[in-house]
Amino acid sequence: MSQLTAEQWERYARQIGPGVLSRDGQERLSQATVFISRIGGMGGPAAMALAMAGVGSIIFAHGGRLISPDLNRQVLGSEDGLDQPRAPQFAARLQSINRFVTVEAIDREPDDEEATALARRSDVVLSSAPTFAERLRLNRAAVLAGVPLIDAAQWGMSGTLIAVQPGTTACLRCIYPRDPEFEEPFPVVGGISTAIGGLAALEAIKVLAHTGEPLFGRLWLIDAYRGQSSIVALTRDPQCPCCGGLGIGEETGGSA
Amino acid sequence: MKIHVTIAGRSYHMAEKLPPWMELPEGSSVDDALQHLAALMPAGAALDPHCLVAVSGAHLGTLQVHRPHTLCEGDELLVLAPVAGG
Repeated sequence: MSQLTAEQWERYARQIGPGVLSRDGQERLSQATVFISRIGGMGGPAAMALAMAGVGSIIFAHGGRLISPDLNRQVLGSEDGLDQPRAPQFAARLQSINRFVTVEAIDREPDDEEATALARRSDVVLSSAPTFAERLRLNRAAVLAGVPLIDAAQWGMSGTLIAVQPGTTACLRCIYPRDPEFEEPFPVVGGISTAIGGLAALEAIKVLAHTGEPLFGRLWLIDAYRGQSSIVALTRDPQCPCCGGLGIGEETGGSA
Repeated sequence: MKIHVTIAGRSYHMAEKLPPWMELPEGSSVDDALQHLAALMPAGAALDPHCLVAVSGAHLGTLQVHRPHTLCEGDELLVLAPVAGG
């Protein structure tokens, strides 16, 4: 018995069929929860794509107030919302796209404990955080919760996507054994943010709807500055302090 | 032998004037190539030790710590500087 109404099936009709989603896949997607942190340049378009596709629930975390330089890439923002907290206005915009989706907004960047609790409530974690500290925190949370992670990153006119299946494929800590230095603010053009965010959402949809070939174990580099793309087959570190052993390493500081 | 070189990620523009191909003696290692690359970098510019290093799509580690690898004609050396960015 379908959980979706006739109106919902009509809404998603264009994405159901060969090479896209099966009806079962759409049902799975519609019952799934995605946790996104944050929801700016990449996370915003990712959340929009997930809402349009009919994911069941979106939990997002993003603190602070919208400022003018955000509007070169943060598609959920508008001039009317300048100087206002991001979370409520971004939640309202997302909800306006699809009333069948549940949207939960958290007006802050979660700490380790909260990130892990949110990951445990989710079927996929989508990281589009601006710092390595946050990216690694979300990686830890996903590993500890045993939930797939889609990691999106950008710089200038380029970006990367990584999909992690905890305990099976390389996690972010396998790739960066030591914390890279980080500069902020970084240069970025909104077109790449939207492109990477959209592809991150597509990875989440593939994982949740059991369709296509997810990017697990690979890094996808999109260098739009030079019009090039590369795929790297990532190597998992069996001694990784985050995902080594049974997938619950020292860095996560606990058991699943 | 010739190998293709791709510098990507943070500060990719620093490598804009580097040639996309590098000529190396047969049997050269990835370390030989990285040393050669470091010598070609513009004055005052250096690659981040946390850069991801891959050869022809295979991940070797970071610039700082990576598996040894012998290069072959036509290989692609990818050096990807860490990017974050939300």
